[in-house]
Amino acid sequence: MGTGIPLLASLSSGNVRAVVERNARVIRNQNWILLVSGFVEPVLYLLAMGLGMGALVGAVEGPRGAPIEYAAYIAPALLATSAMNGAIYDSTWNVFFKLRLSKLYQAMLQTSLGPLDVALGEILMALFRGLLYALGFLGVLTVLGLVTSWWAVLMVPAALLVAFGFAAFGMAVTSYLTTFQQMDLINFALLPMFLFSATLYPIEIYPEWIQWLIMAMPLWHGVELMRQLSVGHFDASTWVHVLYFVGMTVLGLALTTLRLRRLFLR
Amino acid sequence: MSEVEPALAPSGRAPDHAEMAVRARRSGVWFYAETVLRGMRAFALPIALYAVAQPLLYMIALGVGLGALVDRGVGSVAGVDYLVFVAPALLVSTVVMSVSAEMTFPVMSGFKWNRLYYGPVASPLEPSQVALGHFTAVMLRFLAQGFVFWLVMLAFGAAPAGWAQSFLVVPIGMLAAAGFGAPLQAYAATLDDGFQFSLIQRFVVMPMFLFSGTFFPLSAMPGYLHWIGWISPVWHGTELARWASYGASVGLPMAAVHLLFLLTLAALGLRWSVRTYTRRLRS
Repeated sequence: MGTGIPLLASLSSGNVRAVVERNARVIRNQNWILLVSGFVEPVLYLLAMGLGMGALVGAVEGPRGAPIEYAAYIAPALLATSAMNGAIYDSTWNVFFKLRLSKLYQAMLQTSLGPLDVALGEILMALFRGLLYALGFLGVLTVLGLVTSWWAVLMVPAALLVAFGFAAFGMAVTSYLTTFQQMDLINFALLPMFLFSATLYPIEIYPEWIQWLIMAMPLWHGVELMRQLSVGHFDASTWVHVLYFVGMTVLGLALTTLRLRRLFLR
Repeated sequence: MSEVEPALAPSGRAPDHAEMAVRARRSGVWFYAETVLRGMRAFALPIALYAVAQPLLYMIALGVGLGALVDRGVGSVAGVDYLVFVAPALLVSTVVMSVSAEMTFPVMSGFKWNRLYYGPVASPLEPSQVALGHFTAVMLRFLAQGFVFWLVMLAFGAAPAGWAQSFLVVPIGMLAAAGFGAPLQAYAATLDDGFQFSLIQRFVVMPMFLFSGTFFPLSAMPGYLHWIGWISPVWHGTELARWASYGASVGLPMAAVHLLFLLTLAALGLRWSVRTYTRRLRS
């Protein structure tokens, strides 16, 4: 069975469902507390930094230029960060394990499944987790009274978009890594992104060239997108942020598929 | 030439078995610590990158970046610049956070995955020496990491107490790491499955990092959350480190409490470790 699109016929049998179903069964048999409690981390950050730091910082300038509470300032950034972390965790450590240690993909590709099926199946799982966490976090924000606009509902699909970009790209990067030691370098890319991407304070305090560097990084676009959605303020830059992640997703998916084909279907 | 030459093995290149056994019994903790440290060499690049870049990133992002917001807000915290306030706390909490990685999966794999602990115990090494040797190696690593962090603090001018007094943040950081690392090592030694580590990371390490007065004084939080600081090795270490780096007033009785708390945790943790290692490796 092909996909109907001749170009993709060699890459996919159109049976992504099989991969998703397999992962869903694993989740059901494993520790679900671990999966569900994932949304606790950004909530802890929000409570600690929002309440504690908020007392020291006071109000900050929001996307409209009007001052907003510090907790309301960092909340969307933390949602973007947790979307990134969740997606990266699923698409790096998880994928590394299946690729290099348990050789799961090798087994999958011996069946009628194509590399695109495997890649999409794994990424959809990462997105499912991302969806759970985004919904949980949005619920907490609502309870804390930090949601002031109906536009904030769009933060859920936005979180999925951010997660999609990171998951697709993370899986592509992981396919090049062969040892645990190299895996550690992934954390090494995430920490500065988290610390500098306007998550906890605006980037304007840095010299312009550093600002450009930060603006080239994906997380900054995720943070800005979320922040705009949280108050319902949009301008041309909103589209830049969205397109950034669309591009990242397409590029990551293409790269991952080609890599899996190269690794297994020689 | 009155000294007796040690007996040599038949090859002539190594001491005799009996002689080696005596040495292993005597300094087995160091032998095992050396093994662990040599194992870390595979991760030398990430470890070195982390040791240098982590303090730099945190100091720039939180000290300078977040500090700019604090300056606009309340101005200063506890009478000092925000950078000075947060730097010693960052040292303590980053070291404690890293120790939690070093004392979980590596410990469990010693029993479970690569079973590295079983070889030494088949030699004259005691299980207790393996436990303490692993602990020693990890502490040496974080002594080095704390030292690098201290140098970064000096470079940022974030330790106004001067280098002689502020150097104490290095052993204080290690002591805090011991206060958390020893009990964690003992707990990890009892496990057969790794999923608990993620729960510990999520429900113990993260809250400890965020609510231990690292980024803001405990008093900035509502009173019903203060207990998290009181039972947290990070808070006790941070209070001591703040005294060392900028002379925050702690008072002798409180300083004694902080020290005793950390030492007790470390001692109890080590005792528990030794017992667990002995039980598992001798069974």
